[in-house]
Amino acid sequence: MREGLFGAVIRTKFAEQMAYRSHFIISVIMLVIGDLVVPLVTLLVYKSGASFPGWTMHEALLIQAVFALSKGVAFPIFFGMVGTTLGHVREGTFDLLLLRPRPVMLMAMITGFDPDDFGRLFSGTVLFVYALSGMAMPGGESWLQFGLLFLASVTMLCAVSLFLSGMLFRWVGSSRVFDIFDAFTSFGMYPGTIFSKSMQNVLTYVLPVGLIAFVPAEALLGRSGWEGLWALLPAAGFLLLGMVYWNRMLRGYTSAGG
Amino acid sequence: MRRLTAVIQAIGFATYKEWAAFRSHMAASLLVGPVMFLVQVFIWKAIYEGHDTLNGLTYQQMLTYYGVASLIHYISFDFADWNLQMLVRSGKFVTFALRPLPHWLFALAQKIGHRSLAIWVEVLPVLLLFIFVFDVNMQPAAPGWALLSIVFSFLMNFMVNYCVGLTAFWLIRAEGIRRVFLLLKDICAGVFIPLSFFPEVLQKILFFLPFQFITYLPTRVYGGEYELAGIHLTLAQAVGLQAVAVVVTALTMTLLYNAAMRRFTGVGV
Repeated sequence: MREGLFGAVIRTKFAEQMAYRSHFIISVIMLVIGDLVVPLVTLLVYKSGASFPGWTMHEALLIQAVFALSKGVAFPIFFGMVGTTLGHVREGTFDLLLLRPRPVMLMAMITGFDPDDFGRLFSGTVLFVYALSGMAMPGGESWLQFGLLFLASVTMLCAVSLFLSGMLFRWVGSSRVFDIFDAFTSFGMYPGTIFSKSMQNVLTYVLPVGLIAFVPAEALLGRSGWEGLWALLPAAGFLLLGMVYWNRMLRGYTSAGG
Repeated sequence: MRRLTAVIQAIGFATYKEWAAFRSHMAASLLVGPVMFLVQVFIWKAIYEGHDTLNGLTYQQMLTYYGVASLIHYISFDFADWNLQMLVRSGKFVTFALRPLPHWLFALAQKIGHRSLAIWVEVLPVLLLFIFVFDVNMQPAAPGWALLSIVFSFLMNFMVNYCVGLTAFWLIRAEGIRRVFLLLKDICAGVFIPLSFFPEVLQKILFFLPFQFITYLPTRVYGGEYELAGIHLTLAQAVGLQAVAVVVTALTMTLLYNAAMRRFTGVGV
């Protein structure tokens, strides 16, 4: 039954996009270009003779590639719920999701499914392959660690989408949550070693945005051992916290009827 | 002229009041701006290790560049393109077509009101944070030229965005085009990295495009020197060039607007 629901939503979303094909194609192109902006800046910095100390250009690009790949998985599936909540709460139509015979969080997530965002997978893959082409191929152990930490990365983004979406039950109609997301996660697009020690601790334990790209990329580069897998725990904890927060905020939601 | 000023003032004031009700939306910049800037501080501090200058900019000048670029972004922030496309797509534009005032002037007046609110909600607090928290030198080299250049940047950003919005009269759903164009605009304007970091050939192309007049040129004028593609201009020459670009863009916008009005059809119009 659950599969049927997912299938129906995905089919409908694709059909909706196909009604405006050129818009869909351009949106995908736009996401690809958008994801390549930060790598472009990195490329220009390295071409000008400077660098991030201790990181080659390909290694720095690998972090940004992992970031794009993670967004390519998490955004189409989870992140649409931020836009869904924003729109429905502002319009007063969130009640429609409450009335459906399925968990509200699940409904918010799948109605926000956005096929455009799969474009990020393309830019991430291109960048990933390019970054790997400039370094020694990682061994099987590194790939395994990377795979597990990539899961933690996607989990982190799912948790972030729950926090942002939950915030919108109170902070009605504020599209600035996307800017807040961009601002805080931009720390995760660069080698963690460029930040001060205290900031590194914040980015690892308090606001673990380093888990999104830096930690998985380090594992792939063979710079962290199996002990690096500790990152799975905070990711799981953050997701749990996100779910609790979202449900608490939902309880505070008042529709037109009060 | 007096009547026109009164109309612009009235629309601007109404927009100011309307957005003042949603000031927390703008106030989010007090969090977003400094956080983004903090990332830049760490990035460039690491990059400048072992370098005194990069592409003609010292570390302090680079921080000033990003600080000024952020402030210019807040001052000239614009969503005329989104608004116009929404009006065309929803059919609400018809109410503007009937008014004895061109829509572009209405939109400009709205922007003036909207950004007036931003001056004290976004610009001044973020400026103070840059100065007192990040210790960035935010003093303009020549305040008069800097102010004039920022005014031109304000107009330029509005007109470029409005031209993008006008594509809605020819396209059914122009949101994708709008987003691509705006992203390219930001890249070519020097929002993400100073244009002097681009390869020489690209710098020459960027010199002749209108985008540098939105961020790169006013930011460099603010800093007191302008150079792009090996071309050095005095502040007067740089601002003069910006003024010419504003006039050319205004003419282009007017031509496009008139063509769009000829194409527009609505119930009863």
